[in-house]
Amino acid sequence: MQLKFPLFWTSSNLNIITMVVPKEICDKYTELQILQKSLVVVDFFSCLYDRYEARLMRYIKRLTHATDVEAEDILQESFIQIWKNLHGFDQNLKLSSWIYRIVHNQAVSAFRKKKSFGKDENQPWDNRLDASIPDDAPLADGEEALGLDLNMHGVLEQMPLPYKEVLVLKFLENMSYEEISDVLKLPEGTVATRINRAKKAFRKLAEAQQIKFV
Amino acid sequence: MIKNKAMKGSEKLIETIKQQAIQPAPKWQFQVKNGLLWTAFLLAALLGAMAFSVILFAIQQTDFNVVSHLSHSRLELFLGLLPFVWIALLVVFLAIAFYSIQHSRKGYKLTVAKQFGFSAALSVLLGTLFFIGGGAHQLEHAFAVNVEIYESIQQKKIKLWSIPEDGYLSGKIEAVNDDFITLKDFNNQTWKVAYAAAFMPPVVRLEQGETIKLIGKITSKNEFKAEEIRPWGGRGKRMGGN
Repeated sequence: MQLKFPLFWTSSNLNIITMVVPKEICDKYTELQILQKSLVVVDFFSCLYDRYEARLMRYIKRLTHATDVEAEDILQESFIQIWKNLHGFDQNLKLSSWIYRIVHNQAVSAFRKKKSFGKDENQPWDNRLDASIPDDAPLADGEEALGLDLNMHGVLEQMPLPYKEVLVLKFLENMSYEEISDVLKLPEGTVATRINRAKKAFRKLAEAQQIKFV
Repeated sequence: MIKNKAMKGSEKLIETIKQQAIQPAPKWQFQVKNGLLWTAFLLAALLGAMAFSVILFAIQQTDFNVVSHLSHSRLELFLGLLPFVWIALLVVFLAIAFYSIQHSRKGYKLTVAKQFGFSAALSVLLGTLFFIGGGAHQLEHAFAVNVEIYESIQQKKIKLWSIPEDGYLSGKIEAVNDDFITLKDFNNQTWKVAYAAAFMPPVVRLEQGETIKLIGKITSKNEFKAEEIRPWGGRGKRMGGN
């Protein structure tokens, strides 16, 4: 495949001139092609970043209550990890699942670090509520819908991370069980159980705060 | 991380990679890691299988049912008969196999029970085959010969069957006549054994040089009345064979 680059791109290594590949060029390639091209010309890696930036920033913020600056740092660090581990990517996985996995781990690690410094006090979760949720009780309103906007009322923010992460991936990132399993490195059955429990926990918490379901 | 507000995120990323000359780790590193995990799994499963086969051999060789009839401390005797070395080795190898599966690329797809089940199943299957093939006996024997501090299954068995005051005696037949067997036990003590009323399965051969186990009672000094005679090994062969 012949690419038409401005000339200075090819000599960018000499003076560390950073160029991002324009969107119209990036759009011509699949993600795997972008990965392959990145290994030849690193600038192509910017295509991947641009393609995922918006949704991953949103994901990081949902997961960790990070500020814009913190989220961007996490994302930058994650993409450095992705770059370093490019040859470790298992092509049986979806690239998006692999990228989410690395970003997720980076975000969780930053979140825990932040928590250990006592900066995050927004965790009023009652463990008794968690213990009272049965594993296998049927859901009243079908499995796929919570009947409540996850973003509303700050309920999601009050949930413990293991529940919050599955709810965000399932209902806000619209991932399948298999994709969530690949992101969190959990068996699909465990993902299903955790989503089930998380939904019930979400409802209980919402009800405890007298939030009406639609 | 280089911070420059005017830069796009992707631009900042590429600049960091270039400035710090960050390179993707070579493919072989991932291949080696993956290969090591699978090698560790196979080795651990194989070694676990050997340990399991020796445990089977120990169970086969040790008459655990005898322990309940002894007046000595039963718990002490029972614990003394357990092949702890092999149980410990099995646990260690199963743990390594389990760890290897868990950290393999697709390991997370399996539940913990399945991860453990696969590791254990392979060791149990191979171990049973190894035991049936007679490998366990040879391995245990090699251990007994080469490892000084190791107490062999044979030694444990001798200990169990050398408590005549509790009715358990064993040794090599020196002579046989119609009423008595002259038996030299493993402490080189000679016994006159009355066996006329003893139950004796057909596999037992009362011939000079045969090693046998006896259940019965002491009647007087160095005299024993046998109630049951068993071959030393499972199939009535000479001691040291099986």
